[in-house]
Amino acid sequence: MPTRFTAALGAAALLAAVLVGPAHAHGGHDHGTAPPPVSTTIAPRGEALSDAFELVAIPRDGTLMLYLDRFRTNEPVPGATVEVETPEGPRTATATQEGGYALPAPWLSKPGRHELVATVTAGDAVDVLTVAVTVPDPKVSPAAAPAPAAPTQAVMGRVSEVAHGVRERLGQKDPTLVASIAVAFLLGMLVTAAVRGRRSTPAVALLAIGITLVLGTAAFAHGDEDHGAPVQGAALIEPRPSAPATSDLAQRLPDGSVFVPKPTQRLLVLRTTMTEQGSFHRSVELPGRIIPDPNASGVVQSSVGGRLSPPPSGLFPRLGTKVRKGDVLASVAPPVQAIDVSDMRQRQGELDQQIAIVERRVERYRKLATTGAVAQTQLDDAQAELVGLHDRRSALDKARQQPETLVAPVDGVVAQATAVAGQMAAPGAMVFQIVDPNRLWVEALSFDALTAAQNATARLADGRTLKLAYQGTGLADRNQAIPVQFAIQGGASGLRVGQFVTVLAGTDAEQSGLALPRSAIVRTGNGQDVVYEHTTAERFEARPVRVEPLDGGRVLIAEGVGPGKRVVTQGAELLDQVR
Amino acid sequence: MILPKLTLVVGLLAATGVSAHETAGQHGGRVTDAGKFHVELVAKGETVDVFLSDGEQKPVPANGFKGTAILVVGGKPARVPLEPADGNRLTGKANASLGDSPKGAVQLTGPDGATASGKFN
Repeated sequence: MPTRFTAALGAAALLAAVLVGPAHAHGGHDHGTAPPPVSTTIAPRGEALSDAFELVAIPRDGTLMLYLDRFRTNEPVPGATVEVETPEGPRTATATQEGGYALPAPWLSKPGRHELVATVTAGDAVDVLTVAVTVPDPKVSPAAAPAPAAPTQAVMGRVSEVAHGVRERLGQKDPTLVASIAVAFLLGMLVTAAVRGRRSTPAVALLAIGITLVLGTAAFAHGDEDHGAPVQGAALIEPRPSAPATSDLAQRLPDGSVFVPKPTQRLLVLRTTMTEQGSFHRSVELPGRIIPDPNASGVVQSSVGGRLSPPPSGLFPRLGTKVRKGDVLASVAPPVQAIDVSDMRQRQGELDQQIAIVERRVERYRKLATTGAVAQTQLDDAQAELVGLHDRRSALDKARQQPETLVAPVDGVVAQATAVAGQMAAPGAMVFQIVDPNRLWVEALSFDALTAAQNATARLADGRTLKLAYQGTGLADRNQAIPVQFAIQGGASGLRVGQFVTVLAGTDAEQSGLALPRSAIVRTGNGQDVVYEHTTAERFEARPVRVEPLDGGRVLIAEGVGPGKRVVTQGAELLDQVR
Repeated sequence: MILPKLTLVVGLLAATGVSAHETAGQHGGRVTDAGKFHVELVAKGETVDVFLSDGEQKPVPANGFKGTAILVVGGKPARVPLEPADGNRLTGKANASLGDSPKGAVQLTGPDGATASGKFN
């Protein structure tokens, strides 16, 4: 019995060897996908970073192409002087049309590692950058490298195939497999018996024959079967022989990062910004409208109904005319009704009559007063009565002649004018509106009670923004909202009263985080928000982030990216499309 | 593949304004990596001395080496050719005084024609 038991163990060991071996051969590979390594499709290149610049050097056809960008913004730096230390002494690279710099470099044809020093002068910024470029040996092509491993790989590939077949048939309870196991069991018995008999040499031979038989049987059995699955171990396929690419292609690397060569970055206009931690006031968007400053605008109204006539200059001020406070803009002559005219005539006659009587009385009293026959008080009374009568008479004359003058209440520009000569103005009707175009306000409607809003800005339809200063909030309800008023600071030229604006008002709620433009956030296929971090000169890595709303143009990164990172703010959507 | 990474690290450190990599040298200068060597830069007045040592800080004879130091002085790059002097020292003279610890880079060409460069911030 122990012999059989050992034989069973031997069979199990053999089977295990067949099954486990290929698994080992497959370890760590990703089937089917396995893209060629980066280095075979991307030309050799070197890059250098400083706090001001980012330099990428690409040797190609005896020329060294240099791409210089700003470190923080990824903006190309045109018009810079790039001097490279070559074995032939310092040489200055010439600017190319694509925005790069080219340097003829025959010395770069020598394979190996070249460490270069580039002196960059752009404006008043000077930087010395060290960049290393490795030129591959053309005799040792990248495809030749895996060649020595080929025989081993072939064996492993075969073993892998066998194992695949065995595993498949194990699932199907294949009679061939059962037979193989039985043969293996018998062989195991034989081997054990041989070992017990201490005839070691035949035992080894038997063992070898046994293994060959098992493998052979399995391989044979595998042959007459049709299996649709492709040959396992795509990783064993030799990588495509790399033709010398004329230009590098943007691609997504196996680790998920995106490789974008500098020329492509220029085409996509990729721009970055450095993330900075800060605290921000959350802002709300309110619909608003431009109104004139109540303290710098006014209306001209007629207090009486009457006929409008132009001011002494003979012309009504027209729209846009500049007026000063106190200028006469028009006059209103109140009309006199027919009944009033007869009434006035009557009063006039009466007054004239009384005046004549009182005049004579005053004359008489004056003579008599000297003699003492008439008291001085009587003379004074008569004189006062005469003055009063004269006043009333002249007032009656004026009432018919003097119209009401309409004067400008403030300095400004005539914003609205309805005056036409001869027009009858109703009492209280607005004849002119005067607005100071440099002093305008914005009235917005807020649905929340906005406390002294700070950092308010107004955005116009054309994209311009105006800085606003909070003035006050009304309490009276208007369309379920309350009016909030802001004064426009700085120039208000080009604005008109009544224009619609969007007011962005900061609230008291303070949030801390990293503020980024909305365009930096990309929503991926699985619905996750990511930003692209510029990790090295030509690599971008997606970073999942949690964003919170901040204002119209920016969002707050609450988590996912730390400060001091370069994040793509322009062209992130395009970057996300790179496959 | 270590060297580009190293350059990158140096660059990144420069970018963040941390120069933790640079250490004080035996000759009172600044030490940085250049290829497989360590170079120590000592700038005193107009004289630039570069001391060459290997990874274990053992001096490497400067014979056969050529070098160039490019140092930024007063916002202008100054190019200083370096010639081997005694021991592991290469020396050169600048046109103007270099001031205290100028930033820049040193490029060395070995006897075998291989180049190595190190950056000083």
